[in-house]
Amino acid sequence: MASPTAAPRRIGFTRRLSRWDVKVSPYLYISPFFISFAIFGVFPIAFNVVVALHDWHRRLGQGDFVGLDNFRWVLRQPAFWTSLENTFSIFLLSIVPQLVLSLLIAAILDQNLRTKTFWRMSVLVPFVVMPVATAMIFSQIFGQFGLVTPLIHELGWFSDVDSPFFQNRFLSHVAIATMINFRWIGYNALIFLAAMQAVPRELYEAATIDGGGRLRQFFSVTIPSIRPTMIFVILTMTIGGLQVFDEARMFDGAGTGGTGQGGSSNQWLTTVLYLFNLGFGDWQDRMGQASAVAWLFALVIVAFTLLNFVLTRSISSSRSKAKKVPASVTRRLVAEARAAGEASARAAREAGVPTLLGVTSTTGDDATQTVKEGSKR
Amino acid sequence: MRIDRKARTIAALAATTALVATACSGGQGGSGGGDGGKPDVLTVAAWMDFPQELLDRFEEEHGIKVEINSFPDGASAQTVLRNGLASNGAGLSDVHLIELDWWTEMMAVPEDWATLPAVEDRWVDWKVTQGSVDGEIKGYGTDIGPLALAYDSTLMEEAGLPSDPEGFAELVGGQDATWETFLEAGRQFTARSDAAWIDSNATAMQAAINQLPAAFEDPQSGDTLPLADNAAVHELFDTFAQAAQEGVSAGVGIGHADWGAGFQARRWATVITPAWATGIIAENAAGLEGWRIADVFPNGGGNWGGSFFSVPATGPNVEWATTLADFLTTPEAAVEMFLLNGQFPSQTTAMEDPAVSETPHEFFGGQQVGEIYGGLAAAAGDAAAGGFRGVNFAGIQTLVMDGLRRVESGNQDASTAWDSTVAEFDALGLTD
Repeated sequence: MASPTAAPRRIGFTRRLSRWDVKVSPYLYISPFFISFAIFGVFPIAFNVVVALHDWHRRLGQGDFVGLDNFRWVLRQPAFWTSLENTFSIFLLSIVPQLVLSLLIAAILDQNLRTKTFWRMSVLVPFVVMPVATAMIFSQIFGQFGLVTPLIHELGWFSDVDSPFFQNRFLSHVAIATMINFRWIGYNALIFLAAMQAVPRELYEAATIDGGGRLRQFFSVTIPSIRPTMIFVILTMTIGGLQVFDEARMFDGAGTGGTGQGGSSNQWLTTVLYLFNLGFGDWQDRMGQASAVAWLFALVIVAFTLLNFVLTRSISSSRSKAKKVPASVTRRLVAEARAAGEASARAAREAGVPTLLGVTSTTGDDATQTVKEGSKR
Repeated sequence: MRIDRKARTIAALAATTALVATACSGGQGGSGGGDGGKPDVLTVAAWMDFPQELLDRFEEEHGIKVEINSFPDGASAQTVLRNGLASNGAGLSDVHLIELDWWTEMMAVPEDWATLPAVEDRWVDWKVTQGSVDGEIKGYGTDIGPLALAYDSTLMEEAGLPSDPEGFAELVGGQDATWETFLEAGRQFTARSDAAWIDSNATAMQAAINQLPAAFEDPQSGDTLPLADNAAVHELFDTFAQAAQEGVSAGVGIGHADWGAGFQARRWATVITPAWATGIIAENAAGLEGWRIADVFPNGGGNWGGSFFSVPATGPNVEWATTLADFLTTPEAAVEMFLLNGQFPSQTTAMEDPAVSETPHEFFGGQQVGEIYGGLAAAAGDAAAGGFRGVNFAGIQTLVMDGLRRVESGNQDASTAWDSTVAEFDALGLTD
């Protein structure tokens, strides 16, 4: 009597186990990501809200609840607005040359080069160098007694200031953008290269047969084919480019004794650097305001990224629209092809070659069909 | 049945989460142990070189090895300390070197630091006062920074101005030197030379601010004074900004990326030189002949910086760390530090030590630099203790210095720069 009751129970347990396995295991398998994301992603973001709404001291921690006072305070600071201008200026100075040059380099690497791997690895070398090291080297180059300054002084430019790359706001942006470009062009070029390699070679062959030159192929085949990658790269560039920090902080030699606070008139103060100065700089009780900057800036980034996304999409899709063959052209081509087919068939018939007749007429039909399908699409 | 299964699922998930959580926090156990017992190693966070014999001697006496966590400069040590204090002492060393400029900030919560037993008659009185919070000693003084002027005698000679230390001292005003007479000498010099008079007027103004009894805040209440009504600071600002407009300053201060290169290119004739800066100048101006220290300073001299050894209260070896801090600040240790780094001792017997006063300095043409600084420190007296520094001192000082730098770089004129500085200050809302 005991065994029949025990037996189904055991089966039930195994069954339940396997049911758990089906239902629970998948969640367990993916849980490491979500747990770490909760700890390192969701929690800091949520905690940031709490900090932003309080008077928060670096050492003393939580102070009084101040509501939106921190946000109001930040919006009142001239330095905050200056930092936004600087950030966008540096961003524009870096994203445009970066896009152009990395596409160009990728296109060159995509050709049949000798010692391919060597060239591909070489473009990645600047990316391996620590951004801080890059910044220190470049700040020497752009310094008052560096490589570039005496040169442009010789040319008679900016001779009214001793150290134009530090004292002129725009030039300091150029210098910092140069560091960013130096670091990221190779990296982006490799991403573009990977995408370019996936473009079917037949498209290039077809383009060559149609008489498209290298340039035409690049703009009409390569660019539209790597559109998803371009959107990805532009979006990551936007987010990363707006968060410039290392280069700006290291530009005047912070860590070797420089203040690293973005220049005396905030010439190269970026928003993230401003955030850092507030939260971790000379002020003791600005953690709440720093969090407010983080939130405001996050909103700016989201807005700007969306804008960029829409722009990028519309630009690349409008190009593919332009390539569509107008219906009139299709009709004309079909008519020509038919005429040519009939003519050659007639010629063949007249020449008395029965075998060729079938072949020519079929090819003619095929051609018309492809064109028709193309126009339908 | 259904509910039961769901509950089990949740329980299983909770168990896994707990497992992961404990696995994450598992590493924290080790660091707290060993209190009371004798540690094998004590760590010191600092940004200067230590004489190896000194560290070896401590190991011989106490059987504890001393390891130096070396930082390239004070600012990076400051950052590590900030972060450590904000996270309950994580990553801190047993003994920390703290510079006077950020002493107030680190002492925001005095309980963070172990109270050190008094050592009678070791330091000048004002150094002990600086190192105390509410009457409790929180740091043992290492060095002080009596102020002097270093100058390039070669450039002075080329400009046809007195190039010997006495003549130079006389030129900037001698005993009665003020900032006005100092800058006036600068105008004379720049009229006859291509080089600037001083590396940075902002540095000079910072020294001048150090001489004010209450620069930015009220010593009694600790409240911030409105900058717009701060006549003393405004006057200093105008004095230095005016001179900067006339090209007296090169606008490249200590710590600027171009500072070393500027020395090598002989771009300026004088530098504000606290005792601890002698070593830094010797390093940056290496290979140049003719730099000297003049026994003179505007407004009767003063003090810039100087440091303390403090012991974080959260450390596992507070008692031994205190012994080490004591050991590292004995007069003997201070003399060794002076000979190695040029840091002028804050210990009274060390100041009088012939090794300090009589050792010739190789870079400064064999001058007995220790004697000069000893004389300047004595002349400045208790005034060297400097003025009141509240919580906002460092921040406001940066703001004002940035204003002056805008004039130095030619981006703004003196009055515009002052107005924009005041506007930035007002936007901070410190006096609301």
